[in-house]
Amino acid sequence: MKKRVLALVMSTAMIASVLTACGGKDDSSNNNTPATDTNNTATDNSNASADNSSAPAENVDYGTGEITIWVAENVQTFTQDQVKAFQEANPQYAGYTVTVEPVGEGDAASNMITDVEGGADIYGFAQDQLARLVSSGAIMPVTGEYATWVAEQNDAGAAAAATVGGTTYAFPITSDNGYFLYYDKSVVKDPTSLDAIVADCEAAGKGIYMEINSGWYQPAFFFGAGCTLTYDLDDAGNFTACNIDYASENGVAALKAIINLHKSPMFVNGSAASNATNCAAIVDGTWDADTIKTMFGDNYACAKLPKFTVDGRDYQLGGFGGFKLLGIKPQTDSNKMQVCLAIAQFLSGEETQLARYKAVSWGPSNKAAQQSSDVQADVALSALAAQLAETIPQGQYPNEYWQLATSLGDDVISGNYDNASDEDLMAVLETFQATCKSYAGQ
Amino acid sequence: MSRRNKISNGIGYAILIVISIIWLFPFVCLVLQSFRSYILEPGGQVNYLLPKTFSLDSYKFLFDPESKFFRWYGNTLIIATFVSVLQTIFVLMVSYALSRMRFKGREFLMRFWLVLGMFPGFLSMICLYFLLKQFGLTQAGAIPGLILIGFASSGMGYYVCKGYFDTIPKSLDEAARIDGANRFQVFTIMLIPLSKPIIIYTALVAFMAPWCDYIFASYIAFGYSDSYNVAVAMYRWVMTNDYQGYFTRFCAGGLLIAVPITILFMCLQKYYVEGVTGGAVKG
Amino acid sequence: MDKGKQPSGMGKIAGFFKWFGADIADIGTTFAKGNWMTKVSFLIMGFGPLLRKQFLRGIAFLAAEIAFICYMVFFGAGYLKDITTLGTQGRGFNPDGTVSYGDNSFLILLYSILSIIIIIAFIFVWRLNVRQNRNAERLLAEGKKLATVKQDFVSLLDEHFDKTLLALPVLGVFLFIVLPIAFMICVAFTNYDATHQAPAQLFTWVGLQNFKDLFSFGTSGFGSTFVTILLWTIVWAFFATFLNYFLGMAVAILINKKGIKFKKLWRTILVMTIAVPQFVSLLYIGKMFAPDGLVNGYLMRWGLIDSAIPFWQDPTLAKILIIVLNCWVGIPYIMLICTGLLMNIPADLYESARIDGANAFQMFRKITLPYMLFVTGPFLLTQFTGNLNNFNIIYLLSGGGPTSMSLNGGAGYTDLLVTWLYKLTLNDTNYKMASVIGIMVFLVTAIISLVVYNILPSVKDEEGFQ
Repeated sequence: MKKRVLALVMSTAMIASVLTACGGKDDSSNNNTPATDTNNTATDNSNASADNSSAPAENVDYGTGEITIWVAENVQTFTQDQVKAFQEANPQYAGYTVTVEPVGEGDAASNMITDVEGGADIYGFAQDQLARLVSSGAIMPVTGEYATWVAEQNDAGAAAAATVGGTTYAFPITSDNGYFLYYDKSVVKDPTSLDAIVADCEAAGKGIYMEINSGWYQPAFFFGAGCTLTYDLDDAGNFTACNIDYASENGVAALKAIINLHKSPMFVNGSAASNATNCAAIVDGTWDADTIKTMFGDNYACAKLPKFTVDGRDYQLGGFGGFKLLGIKPQTDSNKMQVCLAIAQFLSGEETQLARYKAVSWGPSNKAAQQSSDVQADVALSALAAQLAETIPQGQYPNEYWQLATSLGDDVISGNYDNASDEDLMAVLETFQATCKSYAGQ
Repeated sequence: MSRRNKISNGIGYAILIVISIIWLFPFVCLVLQSFRSYILEPGGQVNYLLPKTFSLDSYKFLFDPESKFFRWYGNTLIIATFVSVLQTIFVLMVSYALSRMRFKGREFLMRFWLVLGMFPGFLSMICLYFLLKQFGLTQAGAIPGLILIGFASSGMGYYVCKGYFDTIPKSLDEAARIDGANRFQVFTIMLIPLSKPIIIYTALVAFMAPWCDYIFASYIAFGYSDSYNVAVAMYRWVMTNDYQGYFTRFCAGGLLIAVPITILFMCLQKYYVEGVTGGAVKG
Repeated sequence: MDKGKQPSGMGKIAGFFKWFGADIADIGTTFAKGNWMTKVSFLIMGFGPLLRKQFLRGIAFLAAEIAFICYMVFFGAGYLKDITTLGTQGRGFNPDGTVSYGDNSFLILLYSILSIIIIIAFIFVWRLNVRQNRNAERLLAEGKKLATVKQDFVSLLDEHFDKTLLALPVLGVFLFIVLPIAFMICVAFTNYDATHQAPAQLFTWVGLQNFKDLFSFGTSGFGSTFVTILLWTIVWAFFATFLNYFLGMAVAILINKKGIKFKKLWRTILVMTIAVPQFVSLLYIGKMFAPDGLVNGYLMRWGLIDSAIPFWQDPTLAKILIIVLNCWVGIPYIMLICTGLLMNIPADLYESARIDGANAFQMFRKITLPYMLFVTGPFLLTQFTGNLNNFNIIYLLSGGGPTSMSLNGGAGYTDLLVTWLYKLTLNDTNYKMASVIGIMVFLVTAIISLVVYNILPSVKDEEGFQ
């Protein structure tokens, strides 16, 4: 009796899978036709999943289950729609109920680390969190065809950002995590010199905004002055060495420039455009473009970051170019893992990246998507591109680094170094450097 | 004499008016900002008071079912109501036992609880999270979880209520017992009706706490927006970069929370005063 | 509390051992002299009461024993056996890329502690079972009747009503307060941090290492940071308590003054701050003092200042501002309390003082203040310890900032020990250090409470109220 029931269940399942598979084939081929140059991606898609699961994807019954995705709030609806479309196009995955929750990219990593099992299956995060996620075991390595796909499809920086110690861990979705200058044309006449911008803002009584107490914006000065700060990692995501030369003449020059900027009465520490009031210039990223367009109206303009002058020498502000990634948490169920991989791949594929750019102006990391005419014509993105030429791709930094940089910035803002001599500043930077090294056990 | 009195009263009024302005100013700002349009006049806390145009955009956003605001509001209301009722029951039970009965271990229990109260609460947060998770009371089940956390250990907060019971003469109990009532009857039929102010006070304080609970609630409900309470949901609007331009919506939401609670509070103010005063004297 | 009766520390310990020895001896006599029912009850709890027809007690004891055995066999023992290592079997990846989790240090530690608590509780129940058997035998020997089931039931609502009332609250406190605290105290002796997150990575015991780290001074040690934060915590608690207290009392006196009208209105205005949830009002007020916020904006527009005042950026200003803003939060409470109490002072005291020619200030100093201090002494103490751990104000207003290179562990100048603890827990998931600091917070609170409690003038016998 038992056996018969089992057989019945089995055969029903098989029929069901065959049926869904047929539907799936149909739908996906239909879906692939409209855009000719996406065919490439689409074929890669099916190939990749096929190889990893060692059977044609269409014939596998992935069963049912629940998948949670965490993304930033402003792409929640977008992601929901995309996943829905994906599941309709690929009914073999339709047994899974996908929930998209708005969880900020900053919180996502912390939450994942706190409780891996309770966390999302797929989650978006800024790439500086990757090492933390790897070392705490909250992210699954992406292997085989998927890893190759990530490397082939995305620009080199993005692919590198998704990698720790030679292993790929994530799917890049944007390459636009960099910052540049937005300014009000009617106030700022010469956006190429920091001193001139400050002077213009002071004359107009309007604020100049930059978040100098953030470990992300602050290196614009240090890197611009020619300093370096990078970390080496081992395969497990642990930091092994810190390459830093902040405690040098260049470092002192950079710190002096930060102090000079802070001394301006019109300087405001901050980078959130929506919280800025009375602003004429702000160092910010593409995600705030719309807010700033409204704020500046017809006088909206962007440029790469200006040059700053210390002791008669000019330096070009540098900084980080960063990426946003999608990670998958380690899965215990093989079928669910395949589904997660497929969804993550889809969400980071060319079509989705373009659609995402159109929906919320996130600059794509996919090479083909970057060539699209819409992306090429974007003012903010071209300013970013110009700035990215001056920056280094952001690698991995220990969590403590961000706090340390905030501390340094806060010290500047509280006026601790207003009257400091070069020797004092050198001493500060030596402490900074030693502390940075201590995070890598040096 | 009367002239001196007039002058000193005048100074008194002047001080009181200044104090009132200082105390009311933030609320006035909050109300004004909530009527600023986040579309026409974007920005955070702009540096002017009166919005250039009066608009209901923020309220429209909140009342739109897609914003989930009323779901969060409902969650908080459910949590607050249950915690309020259950916590009051627990506190009354403990207070009666400690005030009216003498049993072995009573002194020890009181001292032990006093010491426990000196440990900072966050210490136990992560532990409670995993404990609740074991019973499925996190994330999707966060609301019953938060109710449980809210009242389960509330017996420790018996001080004010016990102090109040202590002031009710024991001779009343004894008279009732001579008439044949057992302790349960003394407690429910005699003592509870006499304790109306303290019951209302306890319930009111317990009711107001969940509206402010950000820390625990965000921890227990993380990543599952359907179980957020208003504090967790709205805290994100002002504190994270994902939510640009939500400031006026925060003000409007804050107002929608503050108004009913304030009205409730004002109605029960008499009992609240009795509770805090009694509590202060009894320590 | 009745301090007079407390024996000295040494005496207490000696007394405990004496009691303990007597108790063990008592168990022995019960077994030796008891009849067979009592003897079987040593192994099968509730056996005696069941045969003596005390079914309620018998079933309760038997159920407790069965539940205990089931718990230990099916759940507790599995965790308890790993307590020394906190797990050895780590996580592994399968060939198909999926993960299989091994031991979970977190759950091992948590459930081991739970099991230990349950074992202790079981021993108590067992002891109770032994004693009840003995008492029952004694009663029967004296020819008295045992309580029937019905009497047992009724007694739960009368002479044993305390047990009925306290059962659930005590259980709640044990599960949700005692267990977590015991757990976190244990974590202070492990290496549970961001790189040792169960179940992916196991953590284990490290002895006193974390305490050494806390008291190590140097670039990466927590020592100097801890001292800075501790000092500010105490300074803050002092100002937050006493400034509010005196200002609040002043406002109360002013409103109570003869000749001031609309007393209720003034009070109501102040009381608004209590009614509006703090996360709304404080977040809003915090933003008002931002460099480009409302306050700076108006000051600049009126030409009073040229550049924004760094309210939250300057450590000293931030500290002052927090204390001032705390007055905004705290004065209404104190005002309410004082209003009630001021009315209790007999008016004839003031009358006779006035006849003696005392002015208002003298009357305040000689009559009002001593009375208020006496009555609100214990309240001030709880306020003080409450302020030591006043999380909301700091977290919502300044978030602990500004930070500095001279402080470690992400701490800022306005951080209290608790807010720092919170940062370590949530931002850094550095649970081991958070636990160590949590223990320190406890010690600080306990020591201050003890010292202040002993010098308070109004430490009264609890019974005195009745």
